[in-house]
Amino acid sequence: MPAVLILYYTFATMLVQVAEIFKLNFTLEWRRKQSFLGVVLYVLTTVYLAYLVFSGVITPEVWNALFWVILIFASIQAAFRSFQNEADRRFLLYFGMVKPQVLIIGKTLYNFFYMFAIGLLATLIFTFLLGNPIASPGAFLLILLIASAGFSSILTFVSGLAAKAGDNPALPAILSIPLLYPQVLTLSKVSIRALTGFAWDINAPLLLVLLMLSVVTVLLSYLLFAYLWRD
Amino acid sequence: MKKHWWKALGIVLVIYTIVFGFIGEVPRLPILNETIRNLYFHVTMWFAMVILMTASLVYSINYLRNGNLTTDLKAKELAITGFFMASLGLVTGSVWAKFTWGTFWTNDPKLNGTAVTMLIYLAYFVLRGSVDDPQKKGRLSAVYNIFAYVMMIVFIGILPRLTDSLHPGNGGNPGFGGYDLDGTMRIVFYPAVIGWTLIGIWITNLKIRYQKLLWKKNA
Repeated sequence: MPAVLILYYTFATMLVQVAEIFKLNFTLEWRRKQSFLGVVLYVLTTVYLAYLVFSGVITPEVWNALFWVILIFASIQAAFRSFQNEADRRFLLYFGMVKPQVLIIGKTLYNFFYMFAIGLLATLIFTFLLGNPIASPGAFLLILLIASAGFSSILTFVSGLAAKAGDNPALPAILSIPLLYPQVLTLSKVSIRALTGFAWDINAPLLLVLLMLSVVTVLLSYLLFAYLWRD
Repeated sequence: MKKHWWKALGIVLVIYTIVFGFIGEVPRLPILNETIRNLYFHVTMWFAMVILMTASLVYSINYLRNGNLTTDLKAKELAITGFFMASLGLVTGSVWAKFTWGTFWTNDPKLNGTAVTMLIYLAYFVLRGSVDDPQKKGRLSAVYNIFAYVMMIVFIGILPRLTDSLHPGNGGNPGFGGYDLDGTMRIVFYPAVIGWTLIGIWITNLKIRYQKLLWKKNA
């Protein structure tokens, strides 16, 4: 068989397997609804806390800052769940069936949708409790998508690492938050402009850089994940 | 003697830096005044840090390939010395900022980059502390080291260039080369970078030897 064809088949099999992992994660999540509801409740309680503490002082800047802080913590919660329950037993099963690279890509893809859903949900709850100052909804949605890509690529990998490192409950947060600073700093800067008035020509380069950063992160996960699971 | 020449070179270069750093000719500039001499201590610390962290990264990559615990030890000790250099860079920078910008700490992209770098490496040390099995510890921390290094470079090397900064060379400020047209500072600056780096490697070397002796004693 010509080399190109083999490469094509390998790639196609990989894609199918990634889709399988994605589907499996979705099914499992559906069976354990309380886990997803837990994250929803987490967002709800923290936003309500913000509502109680910040009542009367909500400006678009404060709205923006609160939104990103709450989203980052909710995302860490969500991502760590995706490995917490399986680091011990189910992994042996995966190990025999797929390559580690397939697993991390599938999980990252799954978490991407998960985090986008959480982002949308957080936006809804924020709108309900703290008002909706978003001036350019289209731009805000795009920022949420890019944020989900960045968060899921970093958080999925780091949760895998933290799950392997034992059950120190502080570990996922301290390992991932510093890595998320570049993302969050740029995102909150861009998103405040989506709240007050968005100009594509200024912000498009920043968003592009963030997207590139996600691509680099996924590439690193792809290369490094195999070393994490080799026991 | 053949093996130790670089230690002597390190000492000579650091003494040269200290002597010529304080008595050498420097450009006379408003606001900066004589604090410009801090360039030899503040900026060089960051250069030395990046060099040491890069060396740590190389050892981490090597560890993933060969699984040799000595390689992991080198990666760890280089990161610790790099962190030490970063702390010194932070302190010298804070003092300098107090005299020129009027505050010890400010919301500047480079300062945020510093904070991130230091937090990332602290997380690296915490990660090392929370795993007992030495091979597993080495593998997990090597993976995190590689992952974190890339993020650090993005944060201190790429993002600040996209936004304004109080530091020279960013946001319309001229780079330091713009203040030093006749190159009087350059002839101290580059030797200082090499000198501090060599001293850093020496410190690391001593700590690695100490740890190896401990291993031998406990074996």
